[in-house]
Amino acid sequence: MNIRVVKREGAGMGRQIGAYVAAVAAALVVGAVLLAIQGVEPLAFYQRMLTLGIPGNKYPFRILENFIKLFVPLLIVSTALALAFKMRFWNIGGEGQFILGAICASAVGLKLGESLPRPAVLLVMALCGLLGGGLYGVFVAALKVKWGTNETLLTLMLNYIALYFLQFFAETKGDWNFFLDPASARPKFIKFPVNAQMLTIPLGPFNLNLSLVAAGVICALIFVYLKHTKGGYEIAVVGDSPSTARYAGMPVGKIVVRTIFLSAALIGLAGAFYVSSAGTLSASVTNDVGWTGIVVAWLAKLNTAGIVLASLLITVLQFGCQSASTTYPSIDANFANLLQGVILFAVLAADFFTRFKLVKQSKEVA
Amino acid sequence: MKKKLLALVMAMTMILALAACGNAPAAPNASGSGSGSGDPSGSTSQPPADSSSTGDQSQPEGPELDSFKVGAIYINSQNDTAGYTYQHHNGIVNAMKELGLDPETQLLIVDNVDDSDDTAVANAIDTLAGQDANIIFGISFGYINAMDEKSAEYPDIIFSHGTGYMANETNFNNYFGRIYQARYLTGIAAGLKSKELGNNNIGYVAAWNLEYAETCSGINAFALGVQSANPDATVYVNKISTWGDENLERQAAQALIDTYDCCVIGQHCDSAQPQLVAAENKVFGCGYNSDMTDQAPTAHLTSAIWHWNVYYKTAIQAAMDCGGDASKFVENMGGNAYYAGLAEGFVDASPLNASTAAPYTDKIMNAVRELMKSGKWDVFSGVKLSYEVKNGTVEISRNSADLEDNQGNVIVFAGEPSVDDSVIKGSMNYNVAGVVEG
Repeated sequence: MNIRVVKREGAGMGRQIGAYVAAVAAALVVGAVLLAIQGVEPLAFYQRMLTLGIPGNKYPFRILENFIKLFVPLLIVSTALALAFKMRFWNIGGEGQFILGAICASAVGLKLGESLPRPAVLLVMALCGLLGGGLYGVFVAALKVKWGTNETLLTLMLNYIALYFLQFFAETKGDWNFFLDPASARPKFIKFPVNAQMLTIPLGPFNLNLSLVAAGVICALIFVYLKHTKGGYEIAVVGDSPSTARYAGMPVGKIVVRTIFLSAALIGLAGAFYVSSAGTLSASVTNDVGWTGIVVAWLAKLNTAGIVLASLLITVLQFGCQSASTTYPSIDANFANLLQGVILFAVLAADFFTRFKLVKQSKEVA
Repeated sequence: MKKKLLALVMAMTMILALAACGNAPAAPNASGSGSGSGDPSGSTSQPPADSSSTGDQSQPEGPELDSFKVGAIYINSQNDTAGYTYQHHNGIVNAMKELGLDPETQLLIVDNVDDSDDTAVANAIDTLAGQDANIIFGISFGYINAMDEKSAEYPDIIFSHGTGYMANETNFNNYFGRIYQARYLTGIAAGLKSKELGNNNIGYVAAWNLEYAETCSGINAFALGVQSANPDATVYVNKISTWGDENLERQAAQALIDTYDCCVIGQHCDSAQPQLVAAENKVFGCGYNSDMTDQAPTAHLTSAIWHWNVYYKTAIQAAMDCGGDASKFVENMGGNAYYAGLAEGFVDASPLNASTAAPYTDKIMNAVRELMKSGKWDVFSGVKLSYEVKNGTVEISRNSADLEDNQGNVIVFAGEPSVDDSVIKGSMNYNVAGVVEG
C-alpha cells in the first residue's frame, strides 16, 4: 500500500486557526499526561502556570513587571525577524544583533549616564542599540547583495563572534574595560547609573515599563508598513520572486539592504531595552530571544498579530512554568522547553494537515 | 542549548518549507559551540547527612515551623545526580529534614538560573519572594548583583549568597568554606604516594588558576600538602578555563600524564574524568566535590569534599530564630560572612581508599586534620609541616619557613600567621613555589 501526500483544496483561514488551537490543546494534553506520570496534579499546575502564579502571590505586580521584561524583547525580535523572513532572507543572527545592540547601548549608558538627563540618555541608548544591531545585520545583507553569499551561514557565525566579544568584556579585567565593576576582585558587570535605567510609568502599585509601550507602537508601525506601504509591498514581491521584482523595476539590492537594516536595527533596539530594563549588561543577555524569536515568527506564520499572540504564549509558558514549578521537585525549567517543543511539533503537524492530506494510492491512478 | 537547537531545527524546517527552490541552505549545525556546561556526570555519593548533628534534638512543632519557607536558586537542575547543584540541593534537603522541615512543601526552588543574566536572577528572586520564602539561598557567584539589590528591596526576607563577598548588617550574608584545608589533606595523600612511587611529578587539572582566589588557593593548598610529604615534588597545573567540561577535563589529565609523566592527578573541576584517566593510565588521583573512589577504585586516593548541610542547617536555624524579623539574621549568624572549615565539619577529605594509598597516609592525614581543627596551625602560614613515622606513631614537626610564591617573592615570612583572609576576601592571586602552570 502506498500513501501519497495530496494538496488540500480550499483550506480556509478559520480551519487553520481551529487546527492551531487544537494543536496547542493537544500539546497541553501531552504535557498533562507527563505531569500526571510524575505525580503532579496537571490542572493545578496548568492553572498556576497560565496565571503566572499571580493568585496568592505577595507581590503580584512585580510578577507582571518581570513578565513584561521578558515579553518585550521576544515580541520585538520576533516582529523584526518576520520582516526579514517575509523577504526570504534567513536572518538567524538575532542573537548577535541583540548582543551588539545591548553592548552599544550599555557603552553610551555608562559613559553618558552621569552627565545627561534621563530621557536623553535613554534616547541615545536606544539609537545606539538601533545602529549597533542594524549595522551588524546590514553587513550580511550587503555581502549577499554584492556577492550572493549565504546569509544563513553568515548571520549564524556572526552570532558567535558577538557572543565571544561580550564574554571578552565580561571576563577581562582592565582599566580600559568600563563595563566591569572596578571594586570587584572577580570580574562582574557594573550597574548602570540611574539615568541609564528604563523609565517606568507608575500606575498605582504597578510600574509600567516604557519599553512595552514602545514595543506596541513598533508592532503597529510594522503592521502598517507591511500591509499598506510601498516598502512593505516590495518586501513581499522580493520574497516571492526576486526576478519578478527586478522585472517590475524594483531595486532589489536596495530593498534587501534597507529591510535587513530595519530588521536588525529593531533587534538591536530590543537589546538596548533589555539592558536598560535590567540596569546592567550581562554575559548572557539575550535569554535566547534570537532563537526563540524564530520559533515565534514561524508559529505566527510571519503575521504581526499572530506574533503578538505567539510571543505571549511562549513567554507565559516559560515564565509561568518557573512560577508553577517551585514546589515540585520533579518539575524544573526544562518542562517549559519540553512543552514548547511539543506545541511546536503539534502546530507543525496541524499546519501540514490543513494544507495537505494523505490518500491511499489506488492502482488506477497513473 | 536545547532551545537553540530546537530553534535551529525550526529555522531549517521553515527554510525548506518556504524556500521554493534555489541553492540548498547550509545546515547550521555548528550550534554546539556555546557554553560547555554539560551535565557533570560521575560521582553519586552523598555527603554524610549527620556529620555534625547529634541527632537527638527535639524540634518544637508549631505554626511557625510549618509555615517557614526556604527558597533556593540553582545554577543547574535540582534533578542532577552529581555536581555542584546536586551537592547544594542535597545539603539543603538534609538540613531541612534535620530541622524538622518538610522539603516537599517548604522548599521552593527555581533552577537552571543562568548566573550571567541578572534579569533571570532577579526574576527568580521575585518569584520566591512572592511565594513567601523566608530565606533565599543563591548558590552561584554570578547571582551577586541581584542578591545585593534584592536584599535591600525585601528587608523582610533573608538573603544568603554562596561563594560571594557582598553582605549587609541585617538580612544578607555570604558563605563559603575553607576547602583549602581539605585540599591540603588530599595533597598529603598525593605527596606520600609520589614518594612511595619515587616520581616527583604531580598533575592538577584546574578549572581556573589565578583568575579566582578560590581556584589558586586550592592549587596552593594542594601543593603545600604535597610538599609537606614530599619536599621534592612539583605540581604541574593544566588549566581548562571552564568550571566543567568532561572532554577538556579528560584531555587535560591525559596531557599531564603524557607530558610530565605525572603519577598523581589532582583536580578542581566538575566531573570524575581526571580520576578515570588516572585509572586508565594506571596512575593515581585525588578528586573533588564527592568521594570518587566509586568511579576510579584503582586510582583514587581521597577527595576534598563539602558538607553543605552543615552550613544550611546553621543558616536555616538562625533564620527561624529570627522569629519573623529578618534583620536579626546576620546577628544570629555571628557575622555576615560564614567561612567554616574542618573544625566545623563543613569541609573534609573523603575516607581514604586503603587499597591505593601509601602506608601511614591515614594516620598522617588524621594527625594534620586534628592539628588544623585545633586552630593551632593553618595552611598559608610561615610554618611548614613534615612528618615522621616512628614505631607506627606519627610525629608532626612544625618548622618555620618563608611561604614563597613561584616568582620568588615572600608572601609570609617564617613564623608569621596564616594569610587565609586572602582566600576569604578573594585577593589571593599567586601560585606558591613548586607550582608550574603548563
